[in-house]
Amino acid sequence: MLILARKNGDEIIIDSKIIVKVISASDGSVKIGITAPEEIEILRGEIYSKVKESTLRASEESRLRPLDISKLKFNKFKE
Amino acid sequence: MQIKTFQFGTVNFSEENILRFKAGLFGFEELKDFLLIKPDDDNIFYWLYSIEKPNIGFPLIGLNVIYENYPSDEKTTAFGIVTMNKDPLKITVNSKAPVYINQDDKTGFQKIVEDEKYVVHYNLFIE
Repeated sequence: MLILARKNGDEIIIDSKIIVKVISASDGSVKIGITAPEEIEILRGEIYSKVKESTLRASEESRLRPLDISKLKFNKFKE
Repeated sequence: MQIKTFQFGTVNFSEENILRFKAGLFGFEELKDFLLIKPDDDNIFYWLYSIEKPNIGFPLIGLNVIYENYPSDEKTTAFGIVTMNKDPLKITVNSKAPVYINQDDKTGFQKIVEDEKYVVHYNLFIE
């Protein structure tokens, strides 16, 4: 892993097209601004991991047959 | 062409039935070609089967069943991947990372939506 020390306002440029800018850093939290082409997907690491884990589990559990669902209702989302 | 599925046995399909997922699915980035199967009108689940690895298949459900205005455009349908459970009240749907399918140009993709009302495990049923 490449590790770079950067100050507030400094940028890192990846492959001439992705700009990562340190907006501010304080109290153990860093605010980062990213400029990238539209086709580049930017995700928070922990959300990506959670989704990936869920997809893997859905694949494993897909052979399970639920007991009777005919009497149940959809859990409609309410705002 | 045909694949052998655990849910429907041997399924025949032709080239124009194949849905192309350029980026695969999260966790299955290497899988690009899928079949969408709707067993019959009574069945609420669709099934998305990998053509490359037919032992991988997911139940899907249209997210408009749960949410009134789930984000999508007129060309795509938003589905959620369902995690099955023997106890129906523990069946969940992923509304955080919908699978969008365009039946016109036979493409699909999965994305993560930022909005906090969408979650990875949303209980599909209530009594």
